[in-house]
Amino acid sequence: MVRAVQAGFAKYFSDKKVILINSDGGSTDGTREIVEKTVINDFQPLLINQKQNLLSKIITPYHGIPGKGSAFRMVFEIARELGVKACAVVDADLRSITPEWIELLIRPVLEHDFDFVSPYYLRHKYDGTITNSIVYPLTRALYGRRIRQPIGGDFGFSGRLAEFYLTKDVWESDVARFGVDIWMTTTAVANGFKVCQAFLGAKIHAPKEPSSDLSAMLTQVVSALFMLMEEYENKWKGIKATNPIPMFGFQFSAGLEPIHVNIERMINMFRLGIKELGDIIKDILSDESFKGLKETAKLSPFSISDELWARVIYDYAVAWHRKVMSKEHILKTLTPLYLGKVASLVIDMADSNANEVEERLEALCTTFERLKPYLIERWG
Amino acid sequence: MKDIIIEQFKSFLEKIAEFLPNIFTGIVLIVVGFLIAWLLRMLITRAGQILKLDILTERVGLIQIIHKSGIKDPFSKLFGKLIYWVVLISFIIMGLNAFQVPAVENILSTFLLYLPNVIVAGIILFLGYLLGNFLGRAALIASVNAGLAVSGLVGRLVKYTVFIMAVAMALELLGIGEDTVLIAFAIVFGGVVLALAIAFGLGGRDAAKEYIDKMLKEEKEEDKDEIQHL
Repeated sequence: MVRAVQAGFAKYFSDKKVILINSDGGSTDGTREIVEKTVINDFQPLLINQKQNLLSKIITPYHGIPGKGSAFRMVFEIARELGVKACAVVDADLRSITPEWIELLIRPVLEHDFDFVSPYYLRHKYDGTITNSIVYPLTRALYGRRIRQPIGGDFGFSGRLAEFYLTKDVWESDVARFGVDIWMTTTAVANGFKVCQAFLGAKIHAPKEPSSDLSAMLTQVVSALFMLMEEYENKWKGIKATNPIPMFGFQFSAGLEPIHVNIERMINMFRLGIKELGDIIKDILSDESFKGLKETAKLSPFSISDELWARVIYDYAVAWHRKVMSKEHILKTLTPLYLGKVASLVIDMADSNANEVEERLEALCTTFERLKPYLIERWG
Repeated sequence: MKDIIIEQFKSFLEKIAEFLPNIFTGIVLIVVGFLIAWLLRMLITRAGQILKLDILTERVGLIQIIHKSGIKDPFSKLFGKLIYWVVLISFIIMGLNAFQVPAVENILSTFLLYLPNVIVAGIILFLGYLLGNFLGRAALIASVNAGLAVSGLVGRLVKYTVFIMAVAMALELLGIGEDTVLIAFAIVFGGVVLALAIAFGLGGRDAAKEYIDKMLKEEKEEDKDEIQHL
């Protein structure tokens, strides 16, 4: 990752002053030492003639609540102190990063006056289901900008946006722990900053422990979304239409390798949820949505319609807003319903190519947009 | 004869005359108590609304649990009512005490000695009920998200275990069959665990084997689930 960043600087920004920051949360796996020692000595094999004499590095631990948000805050603060024009943040464990990522995340800010560059990754049609079924349709319908991957994790942004982020009093909240990705995107969009997307290709992380808890992950993402809905209520209520945003980078597609998805298990989880959590879920959903889900549980072949799904997500947002019960309990009951929608989408997209998948998701998004008055009416 | 009757009657009138101020004092105390309790209820309810106690209890999920028990009032009103009854009962006790009737005094003194235990037992039962519902629901949701077919049973088990513990604590506090309650609780709880162990270990050996096989098989299948949700 450090080599890719250094090559990116040398290849595309050799005439600029650049700095690499490692905002470290006290890792004990040698990350700091690696960042410190890693350097490209020979640029010839990379066909790079221009190069900077020295790559400046700041390797610093961040303070405050442990989490990605606190690490980003440190980057924003350094950016403000140095008065930088453009920044890019990338995860340290990326395996698929290339020097071109640096150009794609920074050049739109430096040369096209954009404030925020959202990533657009090449993904398998079944991947990113939380984004595809909840985050993208909801943020698009709410804030009117079609940012395809709002929680991508790697971003480019201007110095003035970094300063604006620092004016927000969120650094002791959940944003510091998790949810900083959707917070950055939403804050940029809701406050009228110029946003664009950059096509980065595939995103591959270092292998992690397979213990990531879906329910906890879903709860974190959705709670950040709903928290932002509270904050920007006055903005999203007035937005009636959605607009595409510019995309930078050369878009390409790749063949789809078959991946194993246990659809039956997902449907069984959905049915178990409706059966066992029915008494709780009916306090969260509208009568119509709850009845729709109960009928869906009996359907064969299994399918959750887009209209029903959009209503369910809007009902959850309203239940969160009205605090009908403990917020954690509200969000945790969403897991089996989400798995039901994932199963439904996987069944729908089984024979689809990349373009057809995007068309399918476009239909889901337009349903969210069409039903936005339902959300506004119930929100109060 | 006539003198004796007159004497008795005079004595009766004197006793009534002696007793009347006590009755009057008692009644005044009860009426004043009623007025103070009413006023306090109003003030506390209003103060709770100003201090946004209703929103706070909604945020922490307390009021939703209370609503589940059938009480539909907001927290500030509920708290006001509680204070109303505590104050009113206190004044009724003072009023009855003012009558200075030995029999009533005896009953009251016994009742007063026992009252703190009753109040604490009531609070334990109430908190046990709230906690049981909250933890039962948390266990139910977690079990469903873990895909356990017996989620409902897990939720109920957690809920009723907390209830039973609260009831056992309350009864012990009231001095009702102290040892008996504890021993009964231990026997019932131990019995349930033992029964489950026997059911899985002996009686339901085949079912347990089948269940474990299925779980292992499911885990293997899940390992192959390569979808990335984020």
